[in-house]
Amino acid sequence: MNRVFMALVFLFLYAPILVLIVFSFNAGSSNSVWTGFSFGWYRELLHNRLILRSIYTTLLVSLLATVIATAAGTFAAIGFFALRRRQRNLLNTVNNIPMMNADIVTGVAMCLFFVAFFGLWGRFSLWFNGVQSLVTLPTRLTLGFGTLLIAHVAFNIPYVILSVGPRLRQMDRNLVDAAMDLGCTWMQAFWKVILPEIKPGIVSGALTAFTMSVDDFIISYFTAGSSSSTLAMTIYGMTKKRVTPEINAVSTLLFVSVLLLLTVNNLRESWLERRRAMGIERRPLLPERISGPRRAWLRRGLAAAGAACFVATVAFLTGATNAQPTVNVCSWGEYIDEDLITQFEEETGIAVNYQTAESNEALYSLLKSGAGDYDVIVPSDYMISQLIEEGMLEPLDYGNIPNFSLIDDRFKNLSYDPENLYTVPYTWGTVGIIYNRAAVEEPITSWSAMFDERYAGEVLMFRNSRDAIAIALSYLGYSLNTTDPLQLREAYQLLADAKSKGVYQAFVMDEIFQKMEGGNAAIGAYYAGDYLSMAENAAEGVDLAFVVPEEGSNWFMDAMCVLKDAPHKAEAEAWINFIASTEANLANMDFIWYASPNAQALAEYPAYYEELYEEPLPEETYEIMAAPQEVLDRCEAYVSLPPETRALYNALWTELGI
Amino acid sequence: MNRKLARLTIPYVIWMALFVVAPIVMVVIYAFTSAEGGFTLSNFTNMEIYGVVFLRSFRLAFVATVICLLIGYPLSYAMSKEGPRFQRLAMVFIMLPMWMNFLLRTYSWMSILENNGLLNQFFRSAGVISLYNRLSGADIQFFHMIDTQGAVVLGMVYNYLPFMILPIYSVIIKLDHSLIEAARDLGANSYHVFRRVILPLSLPGVLSGITMVFVPSVSTFAISKMLGGGTEMLLGDLIEQQFLGGAYNPQLGAAISLVMMLIVIICMWIMNRFGEGEEQAVML
Repeated sequence: MNRVFMALVFLFLYAPILVLIVFSFNAGSSNSVWTGFSFGWYRELLHNRLILRSIYTTLLVSLLATVIATAAGTFAAIGFFALRRRQRNLLNTVNNIPMMNADIVTGVAMCLFFVAFFGLWGRFSLWFNGVQSLVTLPTRLTLGFGTLLIAHVAFNIPYVILSVGPRLRQMDRNLVDAAMDLGCTWMQAFWKVILPEIKPGIVSGALTAFTMSVDDFIISYFTAGSSSSTLAMTIYGMTKKRVTPEINAVSTLLFVSVLLLLTVNNLRESWLERRRAMGIERRPLLPERISGPRRAWLRRGLAAAGAACFVATVAFLTGATNAQPTVNVCSWGEYIDEDLITQFEEETGIAVNYQTAESNEALYSLLKSGAGDYDVIVPSDYMISQLIEEGMLEPLDYGNIPNFSLIDDRFKNLSYDPENLYTVPYTWGTVGIIYNRAAVEEPITSWSAMFDERYAGEVLMFRNSRDAIAIALSYLGYSLNTTDPLQLREAYQLLADAKSKGVYQAFVMDEIFQKMEGGNAAIGAYYAGDYLSMAENAAEGVDLAFVVPEEGSNWFMDAMCVLKDAPHKAEAEAWINFIASTEANLANMDFIWYASPNAQALAEYPAYYEELYEEPLPEETYEIMAAPQEVLDRCEAYVSLPPETRALYNALWTELGI
Repeated sequence: MNRKLARLTIPYVIWMALFVVAPIVMVVIYAFTSAEGGFTLSNFTNMEIYGVVFLRSFRLAFVATVICLLIGYPLSYAMSKEGPRFQRLAMVFIMLPMWMNFLLRTYSWMSILENNGLLNQFFRSAGVISLYNRLSGADIQFFHMIDTQGAVVLGMVYNYLPFMILPIYSVIIKLDHSLIEAARDLGANSYHVFRRVILPLSLPGVLSGITMVFVPSVSTFAISKMLGGGTEMLLGDLIEQQFLGGAYNPQLGAAISLVMMLIVIICMWIMNRFGEGEEQAVML
């Protein structure tokens, strides 16, 4: 009976892991339909730099944090132990804060603290560099590996103290006094008496610290910034769009290696136990016959060599990642042909750190909170004018971007950047309704479908305030750029009513890919280019269609810009120039199905397609991609809203979420 | 004991002042600041509209904690009755999933619970769905599981169950067996031994298990986003949204964090009163 219960719990714990392992060998990319055995995803994994780099970051930060926290925590625990009771209790309470506090509060608090510190540091270093010229301090600090490591160390130390503390309390206090009476210095007393006594506590503390580090997501999410992301952050980023099945392969490899490690450890322990039972003592690391001072020196030598190796590895690894010129790019999910990144890196020797944000609003939060430290961003029209207004963009040097001349004249000097000082267009398109013909009663032509109770539980709505409220405004016949609070309230009410009636299965951004492709939802509003990707990947029996509703919609332009004081401006302009080329635009169009602003690329694409796939590009596809003028006439571009309207958007959006 | 060793505390005290206390002070400052930078209480006065989110978070976290306790306690108890080899192996297998990041495991649940996911496929081929349709007269193709509160609770239970098992188990395993024998000698039956001896003695483990499950559950945002579909916003989502999400307002986010922190501290304090507080949380 007990065993059956235990077996059930273990089944519950391991079923999801089993699923990951089984589907890592799936030939297809689905996580629920088995299509045959293959090692393909393991091969793919070897080429997925994003995942590999994040595994590396995870392991490095966990190991470093464990080592530092174990050492620091052990010393701190001994110090605590030697304190008077009152002081000890006070410090213990503070020490428990990171453990008892919710991770999100710790993460947020750290993020605020770091950003505030960086601000102070910026002012200090400017002043300091001004008054003397011997040392030049960096003026611009950002969230990154350093802050990630500090955060991990900070939440690991309490666990170490907690597992070392009880060991100390079990120890006979007189031992230390006796050792010192016999002539030990307190350092010697520490090494020879205390350390051996508390070793099991240190080991289990280190183990706990490592486990917590590897398992952590939330604190890393708020402290890692954009330049280093842990495996958890990469996965979280992916679950917002398409999760590549390489993740299954990663899970399997992780699981197997941990399992191996633990099995070996377990076998070793039981082997030692058996030997101990047979009366054989553990063999010391160094042969017994080397003794006396020589032995002490040898031990110190070994320890020093170990430490030197550790420091050298860390220095090498951090050096290796910093040596290359880099450009930090932040774009949207599923928004580039990733071969272009490799091609750019090979041509120029500049490493691209390619990140994605969820929506314009999320990107804005990332920039404002200091968590996003990018060179190039690709926001949409209205966000660009907002960023320009707030002085967050750097004017471009168009002399370094000759390919700007290839951009169609109708996409230059648009209202968001009237003199075209800051931007190079990336893609453009429309917003519309994507639906599964097999799951709706009649063809959809109106936004009313997004609020229709008949489709309760089948509709996917945008998870960003601007697009979601725009749909409601459009349905109500108002301008997408209205600043009238009453109209906005009315639009909000429409969404809130539909939500409370259960119309929405979920509020999504790039999760919509998986949901629509797999037939898990019937209707969703999204971008035209992404519809074409979905139609290409749709599962059997899922017949997708796209419509720009009769009421009208939004047409958007996303453009590349460089952030104010970006540390890699030259590299950023090289990247922008590369992406603006006709070849890159053709490759991108073919991959992401968004219309190119490059006149030649847009005109040549049907021919390019025909040459590549040996069949003509369907007229309909091309029209969805690059909407013809009569559709664009129905559409309206977003413009930047005044601050009080934006505050209302944020408030309404938060209310809607409730 | 030589007081010189107490000097070892100094670096850590500085560290804590910088990286534990100062960040929390920052949260407090932000919570009382307006967007323009002046002092304000408006971040708190509008808090009641988020009452729904507070209630929902605490309710779901409570349910998840109770379920964890109902599974975790009997499991720890049953494990402590097994032989040492079995126990060691079982502990390893409870810890093992934590070494794969919790997002990996949660992601796997997504594909299990989808409308066309593995569980629904299984139900379909096992005839459960047609049986249900026949019995209830409904006409469904799948059970709606993903993007529900149930899925979110499942995610919490799944991810935080080890945090319940480990402290309870480590307390039960250290129980003095002579106490149990004494109780038996004095005529207590199994039920009474459990009720009067084992349960009270294992209470510190239960309390720290409850804390360790409840706190992350109430503040999670990844689980609710992945398994709840964003329609069931929790406190974590609300806070994340104000900092890195779609409604940038760090002052409001800090205020919500602060209120959440206070409520959690009060809950824990009340609970620990009942458990006549073993001063330290029991770990691993």
